[in-house]
Amino acid sequence: MGKITATINGTEAHVDEGTTILEAARTVGIEIPTLCHSPDLIPTGNCRVCVVEVEGTRTLVGSCHTPIANGMVIHTRSPRVLTARKATVELLMAGHTGECVTDEHTSECDLRKLADELEGGAPRFLMRKPRWYPIEAFNPYVRRDMSQCVLCRKCISACREIAKKNVYGIAYRGFAAKVIVDFDDPLTTEICRDCGICIDYCPTGALSKPTKKSEVK
Amino acid sequence: MNTIQTQDSLTGRERENLLRKLKQAQHDFGYVSKDMMTETAQSLGLSIGEVYGITTFYSFLSVRPLGKFVIRICKSIPCYMQNAEMIIACVADEIGIKPGETTGDGKFSFELTNCIGACDIAPAMLINHQVYGQLTPGKIAEILRGCE
Amino acid sequence: MPEKRILLKNCGRIDPKNIDTYLAQDGFKAWQKTQKEMTPDAVVAEIKASELRGRGGAGFPCGLKWELAAREESDEKFLICNADEGEVGAFKDRYLLQNDPFTLIEGIAIAAYAIGAGKCCIYLRAEYHYLLDGLKNAIAQAREKGLLDGLDIDIHEGAGAYICGEESALMDSIEGKRGEARYRPPFPPSKGLWGKPTIINNVETLSTIPHIVLNGAQWFHEIGTEKSTGTKLFSVSGDVAKPGVYELVLGSSLKELVVDICGADNIKMVQIGGATGGIVPYSMISTPLAYETVLGSGAVTVFNESRQVIDFVYRTMDFLAAESCGKCTPCREGTEAMIEILGRLATGDGRQEDIQALEDLSGTMMLSSLCGLGQAASIPVLDTLKYFRNEYETRIQQSLFLRSLRGRI
Repeated sequence: MGKITATINGTEAHVDEGTTILEAARTVGIEIPTLCHSPDLIPTGNCRVCVVEVEGTRTLVGSCHTPIANGMVIHTRSPRVLTARKATVELLMAGHTGECVTDEHTSECDLRKLADELEGGAPRFLMRKPRWYPIEAFNPYVRRDMSQCVLCRKCISACREIAKKNVYGIAYRGFAAKVIVDFDDPLTTEICRDCGICIDYCPTGALSKPTKKSEVK
Repeated sequence: MNTIQTQDSLTGRERENLLRKLKQAQHDFGYVSKDMMTETAQSLGLSIGEVYGITTFYSFLSVRPLGKFVIRICKSIPCYMQNAEMIIACVADEIGIKPGETTGDGKFSFELTNCIGACDIAPAMLINHQVYGQLTPGKIAEILRGCE
Repeated sequence: MPEKRILLKNCGRIDPKNIDTYLAQDGFKAWQKTQKEMTPDAVVAEIKASELRGRGGAGFPCGLKWELAAREESDEKFLICNADEGEVGAFKDRYLLQNDPFTLIEGIAIAAYAIGAGKCCIYLRAEYHYLLDGLKNAIAQAREKGLLDGLDIDIHEGAGAYICGEESALMDSIEGKRGEARYRPPFPPSKGLWGKPTIINNVETLSTIPHIVLNGAQWFHEIGTEKSTGTKLFSVSGDVAKPGVYELVLGSSLKELVVDICGADNIKMVQIGGATGGIVPYSMISTPLAYETVLGSGAVTVFNESRQVIDFVYRTMDFLAAESCGKCTPCREGTEAMIEILGRLATGDGRQEDIQALEDLSGTMMLSSLCGLGQAASIPVLDTLKYFRNEYETRIQQSLFLRSLRGRI
């Protein structure tokens, strides 16, 4: 395998061929924020939070799935990158509802942390009907609050690639797209047992372990 | 470090006929039933959720039974400019249902669709797979009467 | 520059149900020439020299694309003909399929030979199901004449999704999945359908190939402009007296097409390239139609002075939001946020900050979206803001006034 040399934020990185921009950046101590990425999962490139600027390209590129190439000059915090990343996070904030303020899981929400880091002010965008779904607490192992879902699809990948269960799917399209189980049914114990792997990968409070016994119906 | 695995690396070719199969079910039964989706999922080793996700992605597949005649009126700009809204109102009046509905007798389903590539004969519609263009209220009545 | 019938040469002159009428018009001569006189590399070189660019909308140099796939070492390669003509206002591929399916099939045979593809797939949109029998019949007739030996041509029907005209979504759809955009790289010529080298060409692009092979790259190169060689089909609709498919030498003026040929008057603006196409105001009606300026798929929708810009943009965005695959955030959420704003503007509930929000959204969608749909979705918004900003501003002023009457700002 060949070696690649590229410049990231002015620093030279030397990595193996086939390394993603995201991984290459890490080798020189540069963190690029992500939502839908996990080193354990095949990249899907859907959240577009990890976009970076590669000199000479028309659009920004997703760093989690783009292999770094020799001579690339990359900027991970240029004004174009930060503006786009902020708007993307704002859109995700605007698109969902949920117990963001009161919920005990809020402190674990990666989206909220991202929004704080990017210092978004008053929301610039609104949705006609932000996603709202009733909380599903039918399963003693996984509580689903799909109102908090940002469609990163990590649960789908983790269930398929790590748990080898393939419980989740994605249905509908556009803004109506939703992570679903079977025919968009609640997650019951008949479908899913107790591995809980998806919970570890959920970046928001959409999937969690039920804390109060009373919540399980 | 690993070479990037790509998004298609988990797909086997046995899925090639999946869409064809779902379309056939739509054609034969007027919808893709839960049984059909379950059977398809099992035969291909997919989850039911994945098959449901595919079915709900495509606008010519339906998880609810559609009528014998599915009327799809184009609502995109070129047809809209030639008074598609009047045609929509006219069809609604003729068959007594709104877009998104199916008549009680299961004869007609009424849907609005995006551009069907008949802009030169706008306003246009599809009834099942037949295209009708340069629609007028008079023509609508005649076409609908011909649906037997 | 005038109308010129190259692609439309046979339309109306042959019987699309009878291959003999096509053979009588030099049909399959280019394919015979290819097999007898040309190596695959020579065909690729010829197409490269012609500087033919993709007719589906993106305008990628066809020869270069072929060369990338031809160079790949693989046990299997695919050729896909994109007949998922979903672009709003586009119907030229339908016209070719209806009137001259044989030229397309000949083009497919040549392209498959050039890149070394053993299997071809025509992805036909569900809305065009009524063209299926004609196409099947044309393939069967060509096969019967021994013209398609060793070449497998499969027709794969779509199921109703605009996004499947996008090449990566199209491949996912053939693979029996939701038609969602893939990230690139890898690009289809190296890893496409089933992970194998794949070339995806539009119906019109492939139908141009036999003419180039038969008459030579030089002949083709002399037609059109420096960067836009050849002729192009235009699907004209909207406020015109004579809607239809017209073939013009590239570089011809928009005025020639919509005014002189199609008889439009009182023009306010023209959208070129479908839902995500650019807007040309009447003041720029002499704009040449070419890749250097504005072209896309060649869908041309004419709007007269009676049409409202906000109404048009709202409906366009409504279309794009409904057709967004839902995979990437900027497109899935961005089109919806745009509808919220444009919907309010359309109903007279605009706000001062709306224009800024539209511009901010446009920038992000353009830079960060995964595929062409999201990247180009904001073009009609940005173009109308550029040429008809007063209509947005007026609408906002009216909204503010209406709200002040109701005692709230």
